[in-house]
Formats: sequence, C-alpha cells, structure tokens
Amino acid sequence: MLRIAIVGCGKIADSHASQIQRIKGCEIVGVCDREPLMARQLYERFPVQAYYSDMTLMLGESRPDVVHITTPPESHHDLARFCLESGCHVYVEKPFTLFEHDAQDLISLANERGLKITTGHDDQFTHVARRMRALVQSGFLGSGPVHMESYYCYELSDTGYAGALLGDKQHWIRRLPGKLLQNIISHGVARIAEFLTSDSPEVIAHGFSSPFLKSRGETEIIDELRVIISEDSGATAYFTFSSQMRPSLHMFRIYGKKNGLVLDHDQETLIKLRGTRFKSYVEKFVPPVIFAKQYLGNLRTNLKCFLARDFHMKSGMKYLIESFYGSIEEGTPVPIPYREILLTARIMDAIFAQLDPKHSQIREEIPLQSLSTS
Amino acid sequence: MKRTKENDFIIRPDDLILVTGATGFIGSRVVRILLNRGFHKIRCLARPSTQPSKVAALRNQATGPELQLFSGNLLSREDCAAATKGVAVVIHLAAGRGEKSFPDAFMNSVVTTRNLLDACLGNQRLKRFVNVSSFAVYNNAEKTQGNLLDETCPVEMHPEARGEAYCFAKTKQDEMVTEYGKEHGIPYVIVRPGAVYGPGNLAISGRVGIGTFGLFLHLGGSNPIPLTYVDNCAEAIALAGLRAGIEGEVFNIVDDDLPSSREFLRLYKRQVKRFPSLYIPKVVSYCMCHLWERYCAWSQGQLPPAFNRSRWNSFWKKTDYTNEKLKERLGWKPVISTQDGLQSYFEACRAEEGHA
Repeated sequence: MLRIAIVGCGKIADSHASQIQRIKGCEIVGVCDREPLMARQLYERFPVQAYYSDMTLMLGESRPDVVHITTPPESHHDLARFCLESGCHVYVEKPFTLFEHDAQDLISLANERGLKITTGHDDQFTHVARRMRALVQSGFLGSGPVHMESYYCYELSDTGYAGALLGDKQHWIRRLPGKLLQNIISHGVARIAEFLTSDSPEVIAHGFSSPFLKSRGETEIIDELRVIISEDSGATAYFTFSSQMRPSLHMFRIYGKKNGLVLDHDQETLIKLRGTRFKSYVEKFVPPVIFAKQYLGNLRTNLKCFLARDFHMKSGMKYLIESFYGSIEEGTPVPIPYREILLTARIMDAIFAQLDPKHSQIREEIPLQSLSTS
Repeated sequence: MKRTKENDFIIRPDDLILVTGATGFIGSRVVRILLNRGFHKIRCLARPSTQPSKVAALRNQATGPELQLFSGNLLSREDCAAATKGVAVVIHLAAGRGEKSFPDAFMNSVVTTRNLLDACLGNQRLKRFVNVSSFAVYNNAEKTQGNLLDETCPVEMHPEARGEAYCFAKTKQDEMVTEYGKEHGIPYVIVRPGAVYGPGNLAISGRVGIGTFGLFLHLGGSNPIPLTYVDNCAEAIALAGLRAGIEGEVFNIVDDDLPSSREFLRLYKRQVKRFPSLYIPKVVSYCMCHLWERYCAWSQGQLPPAFNRSRWNSFWKKTDYTNEKLKERLGWKPVISTQDGLQSYFEACRAEEGHA
C-alpha cells in the first residue's frame, strides 16, 4: 500500500484527494496546511488518517512514500526539496517551480536520491490527449511536427477569481515573477514542449494588459500573450493566452508533412486533418461529411467513457497520478519526462524575461544538460 | 418568552460597532439602519477588492466623520485586530457566498470568523458578536412534510454530504462561534436568514426551482418560500446586535405572509418575463435526487454531488416557517410587507431585463 500525503489544503488539493481515493493500492496518511483549520476540513471530508500544520511532523509521523505539493507556486521548490531530502517521491502541482534552475535543482536531487518527481500537467493525460499522443507516435503526421498551435485561455471578469485578484494588491498571484501568466500557462506550453526536439528553442513573446484590465486601472497584470517558438530543425509553434477572446479556447493543433490533428480540450474531441485534397468540387462536399463522421465518432467515444464511469472532469489527473505511482512501484519511467518539465520551465522563463526584464536578472542561466535523465 | 422593550439596548449611540461585509447586499442596509437608529460610530469593513462604487454608496449614507471605512482582509489577523479594536458590537456578515469550492468557501467563512473571534478575545469592551448564518445549516430530514422549521431544529451533522460548499462552511462557522462562546465567553447571537431578496439580488431562489438544465424545473410547488426582504432582514440583524438579554440565542429571519413557490413563480412570470417551466412533483424530484446521489457514489463522483436527499429535504420538502421568536425577543416587525417587497423586487428585475 502506497502511503500518500498532501501539503497545501486549498482548492486544488480537493481534486488530488478525490482522484487519489479512486486509485487502488494507496491511502492518504496525512494532509498538512500551515492553517490547521484548512487541514482539518480536508481531513473531515475525505478518508484521511491524520492532519497537521507542521510538515516536518507529518513526514515524521505519517511516513508517506509520496507527497503531493498543492501550495501556491512560490513555495513549490523549497517544499519539494524538503520532501525529497526526507526520502519521499514528489508530485508538484503546476507550475513546477518559478524558475528553470529551481526545476533543474529538484530533478537533480531526485536523481541523486533515487526518487521520482512529476508535475501536474494533467491535461496531457485526458482520454483525448492520450488518443492524440498515440496517433502522433503511430506516424499519422507523416513526420515530426512542422507547426503547432496551442491556445490556453482564461476568462477574466469582475467576479470570482479576477475580482479578488484585481482588487487585492497583496494577492499571492502578484508576487509571482510571471504573475497571472505564471500560474496558468504551463498547461498550454507543456503541450508544445512535449513535441519539440531542440533543448534551446528560440522564443519571441509579446504580452500586454487587455483593454478590460486597463479600464479597471490595472497595468501590472498581463492577460494577453502571444508567443512564437521556433527551433533549428524548422519546427515552429504559436502559443496564445487570452483572457478576452471568445470562445475561451483550450486547444492544440499539430501539423506534420502529411496530416494534422486538432485537439479540443473542452469538448474532448480529436479531429484528423487530411493532408491531401479531393479534386475540384468534391473538396467542397466530401470533407464536411468526413468531419461530421469524426465528430460523431468523438461523441460515441465520450459517451462510452461516460457510461464506463471513466469520464470524470479530472480524469487526466487520475491517469497521471496512477501512472506516477506505477512508475514508483514498478521502476518504470515517469509519465512526464524530465526533459519536458525542464523545457516547459525554460520556455516560460524566456517568456517572462521578455515581458519583464527584471525576471531575467534573478534568473540564473543553467545549461539544459542531462535532460533525458528520468 | 419575555417580551422586549423598544429601546432595551446593550450599547449607547456613541459605542463603536463593527460591520463586516458592510458594502454587501445586506451589510449596506444594516449600516443604514444603525445610522437611522442613531448609532453613528460605525466601522465598515470591506475587502480591498470591493468595487469603488459600493464604497462610494456606503460613504454617501453618512456625512459625519464617525463612519469609518476600513479596508481589510479577514484572512489577515493584523487586519482583524485593527478592525475590532475598541468595538462594542461586531455584526459579522462577510462570508464566502457564491463559492463552489469547499476550501474557498471554508476559508472565506470559517478561517475568517476564527480570526475575527480571536481578535475579539482581548477586547474588554465587546458586548455582542452577531454571527450571520443561514437556513442552509438546518437538517430538515427528520421532520414530516409540512412541519414547522424553527430555531429548535437540528443542524446538519454531516454538512459535507449536502454537496454544497456554502452549507458546509456556514455549519462549521456556526460551530466555531458556539465553541468560542462556550470556551472563551464570547457573547454571541446567531441569526439565520431565509431566502433574502430585493434589488441587488435578483436571482430566483433555488427553493423555487432550478434552470441548470435549460428548462426551468419548478420544484417548490405549494411550499412556502422562506423569503425575507433585504430591509427586513437587515432590521433583524441590526436588532440582534443591539437588543439586551439574548446572548447565545439563535433567530431565524423570515417575513410574514410568505408566498408559495407556485404563487411566486406565477407573479414573476406575469410581472417580469415569461419563460417555460416544468413542474416536477415532489415524489419525482425526491426520486431524482436519490438516484443522482446513488449515481454519484457508484461512479465515484463522475457527476458533482449537486442533488441528493439532504438537499431535497433542505430545499424542496414542504416546510412551514415562523418568525415568532424574532418578534417576541427582538421586537422585530417587517418594515416592508411581502406584497410591497415583491413589487419592488419585480420592478428591479424588470429594469435589469430592460438593460439585458
């Protein structure tokens, strides 16, 4: 039985606890939060053995094999390091760390200690994301990616999250080097990083505060971001984050020399794009039928998953956690290669350095070596 | 029961009152009522994220220098200490309303309340802590249909099972206040408003029905809806902060002449807008809630636990309500009749529809 602990008992910890309790062969032995009441509320609502407000005490008493870190990002590095030093495998919520060199430090430490570490890029493990990965690996694109487009949007309005963030000048999001973007974009960037072959792609970023934010007197937060990524092999990618465009997309498009694929994360649909054309007017009539058939196929697949009780909103998280635990117990590779975690961190560093030059001053340049150690 | 005297108050007009959530739907009215009653030293706590228009509206209520606008966050112990300094009465309205996430609702209701109570511990001047709770905390499962829900009814023992973050947070908040009352001698009063309505909160109460599935499902039928017009509710809350001899008591807040769900919906359709609705008989809605609950458990939460028997009992079981204790002990009487309140509410709804 794998012994699991959770550090940080806020909103995302609920998702972790819900998915962990669906996985056989593990138990939550402790939850911890600096605020004891928060730890207790999680303890009261889930099958958890004990709750703590002191992580050292929890690690000593509960003796977890794996610790999930679900605190705000600024504490990820220090907490993960402490857990690794205490001999625990670690699952760190996204973003993995604030800087690439912190990510490198954790991965090096995990390798030194013979422990495993992963990050919460669970969107890459939904049913549809796994179907897409399988198709790419089967050679459907006809080559490596020629171009990719990743959309990761987030609706900002006066209520809820945005209201709290905009009105509170002390909000923890504002303390992050990349502010709002740092807390959100890693899902969308990681999708691109998965398929890049170079360790040092060129990154050109353009970001600005939307008219919506400006109208509320906000100039510190950037909520519109466009990024071009290119590598020596010729592969390119666009990344788009927007708080204002509608629909608020979570979409990934990948094109090879032969065919392309379109993944819609919100609808969980995967559409194949044929690289060849029909002749003359046939191109106007047959492809719509093919698309209609594909959408019906997606509907059938989604319904099948739903009826099989395997279509939870956080199904990707369950799959990722289960795969991570499997890699620990069976000694198999981790579900997210370390190279991909580091490359995601490197691209994010490059974006924030261009948006805010101060970011690059605190960032240390560490060569991206030994990326394939996993 | 002891009948109350008109001005049997625990504080004088120059004692300081703290109102949390003072720019909110109910809070702003509580401040106005206190000012109208001559209590002019009011410290109004609002989050830093409060819209400037709401702060300006509050500021316009009084021109005197003694209406203090205090921008602070109840999650900060320092802010709580500063906010409670020298206050004689705390009227605690701020809460994590509208939060769907349990941790967020809990943090913004329970952790904040604990911080406020801790800050009050060293305050020798404190005479009353009014905790604004909700009808959501009541467990209505054991009573037969049509029975009276009053202040003696039990609260949810397992609020987490309701699948409603607000219910969980409010139940835990009440527990916290009661515990501080018993263990630390905090002089508290708990008030539990029913469905508060009026200009500023135009949504149709979930007790009438739900529009989640595209078509409005009318679930209330002949049930009385425990409405309280926002000014009436604010009046009761203000009195709970002032009236002598009610320490440790709980008060439910509902108006007189409550309309049935069917009546409310008919009036709404006639006076605001027409929309299709489907009446679901109680036995059917109960079975649907039961089935949803079982499916949730069987599928390990593939659907959110939004509908279950606990929620049905709380929201859609036929229940009668009383405001007898409110009238007897607080000397409360509705400032606005239900007929006038509904009229004002429908007018605001029509205006909103006109803007949409």
